[in-house]
Amino acid sequence: MASEASSVDHRHLLPNEFDLLLDGDVGFGVVPLKAHVRKCARCRSELEALQELTTVLDELPRFAPSPEFANAVMQQVHVFRPWHVALRDFLTGLVPRSAPARVLAGAGAGGILVFFGLVTAAVVLRLDLIIFSSSLLADRVRTGALQMGTDLVATIGGQPAMEAITVTGGPTAAIVVTVVALGSAAVLALGLMAVAARRQRAVR
Amino acid sequence: MAPLLDLANLPDADVVVLAQQGRGEAFRELVRRYERPVFSLIYRMVRDREAAEDLAQDTFIKVLNHIDRYRPEFKLSSWLFKIANNVAIDALRKRQLDTISMDGSPHAATSSEIEASSFDVEARQENALDELEAREIGSAIEDAIAQLRPEYRACILLRHVEGRSYEEIATTLDLPLGTVKTYIHRARHELRELLSHLREE
Repeated sequence: MASEASSVDHRHLLPNEFDLLLDGDVGFGVVPLKAHVRKCARCRSELEALQELTTVLDELPRFAPSPEFANAVMQQVHVFRPWHVALRDFLTGLVPRSAPARVLAGAGAGGILVFFGLVTAAVVLRLDLIIFSSSLLADRVRTGALQMGTDLVATIGGQPAMEAITVTGGPTAAIVVTVVALGSAAVLALGLMAVAARRQRAVR
Repeated sequence: MAPLLDLANLPDADVVVLAQQGRGEAFRELVRRYERPVFSLIYRMVRDREAAEDLAQDTFIKVLNHIDRYRPEFKLSSWLFKIANNVAIDALRKRQLDTISMDGSPHAATSSEIEASSFDVEARQENALDELEAREIGSAIEDAIAQLRPEYRACILLRHVEGRSYEEIATTLDLPLGTVKTYIHRARHELRELLSHLREE
C-alpha cells in the first residue's frame, strides 16, 4: 500500500488510472489514486474534465423512430405458432367461461370417457379376434413391402439384379433395399444440413 | 389466457417464451421495449434517420424471425445490439465516404494513409442536409460522437447511453475485454479533445 501510494505521489495519473476513477471502481487500488487527485491540481482538473464528459454522455437522450415503426416491423415478422401451442389454445377455447356450463361440459366429457372405456373393455374381451386380425394385416403389409422392394430393385438394377436375387435369395434383396434406403436418407440429410447452415448464416 | 397477461411487467425472458409460442402481442412488446435503444444506437452510428429506420427494422426482423433460436443464457438486449451494430457497420462500409472518421481509417498505419482516408469535416458541415441533421440531433456532443471511428462509437454508446458493463460490451461486439477498455478510453480522450473548445468557453 505504502509503495503504491508513493509511486503515484511522484508522477501524474496514467490514462487507465483515470478510467478506474471514472468507472467508479472501489477497493484498495483506487485509494492512493484518490489521495493523489486531492493533492495534484493538474490531475484533479483532468479528472473533472473527464467527469463532465461522462456526465454529458450518460445524459444523452434516446431517439424515437417514426410512430409507424412497430407496425412496419410486425408486417414483416412471421409469427409462427407451434402445433402443441395451437392444440392447447384450441382445447382451452373449448372450455366454457361460466361455471354451470363448465360443469355441464365436464359431465359430457365424463360420459364420453365412460362410453369409450366400455368400448375398450369390450374389445379387450375379444382379444383372440384382435390377434387374428393383426396377424392378417401384418402378413399383407409384409407381402406388399416385399413386392415393392422387388419392383424397386428391378427398376434400379434391371435384369442382372433380378437374376442375382433369384440365385442368392431374399437376403440379397434385403441388402440392396437397405443400401438404396440408406443412400436416399443420406442425400436427404445432407440437403437438410445445407438448409440449416444457410439459415444460420442468415441469422448472423 | 395470454391476452390477460400484463406483458409490460414481464421480464424479457418470459416475453421471449411467449413470442416463441407464437403470441403476436409478445413480438410487439419486444419491439416496444427496444425500438428506441436500437434505433438510437443505429442512428448515432449512421447519422441518417431514414437509413437508421430501415436498419432498425432489419434488426428486429432478423431477431424476431429467429426468436426460436434465442438462447436464454445470452441477454436479449445484447443479441439485439449485436445485430444492430452489425447492420450499422455493414451500412457504413457500403457508404464509407459519408461516415469515415475525421482521423482516418482505423486500419491506416502511416500518416499518409491516415491523411488519405480522412475527410474534411468542416466542408461537409456546410452541406444543408448535414445542417438539418445537426439541428435535429442538436448538440456538439452528437457531432463529436459522429466523428469517432465506428468501433469507438459503438463502445462509447453502449457504455454511456445504454449503461452496459465492459463485459457485456465485449460479449455484444465480439471483442476482447481489453480491446473494449482501450476503445472506450480512446473514445473519451478523442471526445475530450473535440469538445475542449466548449470547456474553454
